[in-house]
Amino acid sequence: MEQQFTFTGRQKTLFLILMVIGAVCLGLTYMTDGTPHHARFWTNFLHNSVFFTGISFIGLYWLAAHTLGYSGWHVGLKRVMEAMTLFLPIGLLLLLVIAAGVWGHWHHLYHWAEKGITDPTQPNYDALIAGKAALLNPMTYTVVTIAVVLVWTAIAYKIRQLSLKEDTDRDVRYYKSMKLWAAILLPIGAFSSAFCIWLWIMSIDSHWYSTMFAWYTSASWLVSAMCILTLIVLYLRGQGYLGHLNKHHIHDLGKYVFAFSIFWTYVWFSQFMLIWYANVGEETIYFRNRMDNFPVLFYGNIVINFLLPFFVLMRNSTKWKTGSLVFICVFVLFGHWIDFFQMIKPGIWESLSHAAHGHGGGHAEMPAFMMGFHFPGLLEVGTFLGFLGLFLYFVFSRMAKASLIPVNDPYLPESLHYHG
Amino acid sequence: MKKVLFGLYNDDTELLDAIKGANDAGLDIMDVYTPFPVHGLDDVMGLSESRLHQAGFIYGALGTMTALGVMTWVFTRDWPIIFGGKPYFSFPAFVPITFELTVLFASVGMVLTFYIVCGLGPFAKANVLHDRITDDKFCIAFDTSNMSQVDVEKYAAFLDSSGAAEIHTKDI
Repeated sequence: MEQQFTFTGRQKTLFLILMVIGAVCLGLTYMTDGTPHHARFWTNFLHNSVFFTGISFIGLYWLAAHTLGYSGWHVGLKRVMEAMTLFLPIGLLLLLVIAAGVWGHWHHLYHWAEKGITDPTQPNYDALIAGKAALLNPMTYTVVTIAVVLVWTAIAYKIRQLSLKEDTDRDVRYYKSMKLWAAILLPIGAFSSAFCIWLWIMSIDSHWYSTMFAWYTSASWLVSAMCILTLIVLYLRGQGYLGHLNKHHIHDLGKYVFAFSIFWTYVWFSQFMLIWYANVGEETIYFRNRMDNFPVLFYGNIVINFLLPFFVLMRNSTKWKTGSLVFICVFVLFGHWIDFFQMIKPGIWESLSHAAHGHGGGHAEMPAFMMGFHFPGLLEVGTFLGFLGLFLYFVFSRMAKASLIPVNDPYLPESLHYHG
Repeated sequence: MKKVLFGLYNDDTELLDAIKGANDAGLDIMDVYTPFPVHGLDDVMGLSESRLHQAGFIYGALGTMTALGVMTWVFTRDWPIIFGGKPYFSFPAFVPITFELTVLFASVGMVLTFYIVCGLGPFAKANVLHDRITDDKFCIAFDTSNMSQVDVEKYAAFLDSSGAAEIHTKDI
């Protein structure tokens, strides 16, 4: 019953090439971006770090939710998700670079991190940011990032360890213990991820806030994680692994991509409509900037992440046929990467424009179209490929460390006989 | 009026095996009745995929068009009122109602279609071949209205040999 995955030299080479492409693109961006404080480089770094850390976190959340919900069908493919959760420590390292930059003023991602911004005697004093200083300060940012991602990592490793012990020791107590840890993670993960999303992404638009934002962003992570999981599972099946999964497992993955795409649209629209209807200037500025200055990203986001999966995956058969599923997962994964792109870049562009107008000290006027801000350029795509290579290298090497089938999981027989 | 010959089986594995046997023997099954949904039954019976969801899509699309059409007509032609400084045609404000009517039309339409196709509904008389089909027996039924006596005996012999616990005939 055991099934050992081998991480072949070809796959390693491919992922290493992707990582090299990413490193070269990051380096080129740093040297050539020409924006103040290397804004293009730092936004790309933040964008991809948050995107892949979030996917890894959702892997953990997905695993915990299914374990706690007495799910049987997912057992046949849970080792793939387990491997995805183990990327969390790498994500923490990446985010620590951003946190260090907040202290060292290497970047200007967060307007609240500027020197003297909370000091009424300084010329750049900002009363709104001063009012939020209890939350938006380097110490909270660093402590929350480290504490939260460490807790996620610890629980991910704990669940993995229990799952591996179960392989050699046929005893139901590991399963029960996994259930306990899953129950601990779910509430902690739900609240702490919202906190992280506020700090990592929402605070870029320092003056603006939205109570729907954490929902919307985690829904975006959720769809991305489902797409990556589906793509890895289909790839492994193409390589001759996971033969124990049947059409109905794949169909369920397709249903997840379909359903969570609609869920994402629902929360996206809920946030948009409340702000549009209330028409309060402090809130509408967020969408005004995106609709006026970033129309391709703003409307393209809806087309690629809602209309495309909605109409393609609506049919029964497209949710389990490999061709249509791969097509949609690739597009929607990229679509949600674009979604994060348009959460991050317009806010930075806005603050760069303000700096250009306000202080006038040597900064040139910001152009109306900037590659890498209004649309992802080749450097952004290359950076994405680099992070994807890093993520997949880690996931595949973790997958190779254990049997792809959790042989002693009490729900394995149910998964093997699964019938939608 | 149909003359139905049917056999009652004790569990679902016996039933599935019997259906496969009937297919191999080239017997023409009228229908199969079970007390609960049996996995894999559609496949062995060779049933084609239900078209109910296609009907659902049409109802849903009708709901979308109704909602958008009525709201657009009311708020731009029939009785234009400005709400909260928004234009007469305010698409974002129409979306929630469009969504609701799409779901409502699709779900109610599908339920009604299902009832009509299956002959269900209040005051409808159910034709239950045997009471225990609704409890713990699994039934394979053959339509013997136009069969010769030889054929009927052949079908009955099949039911007997495939492990049916009881064999009955009934006119419905």
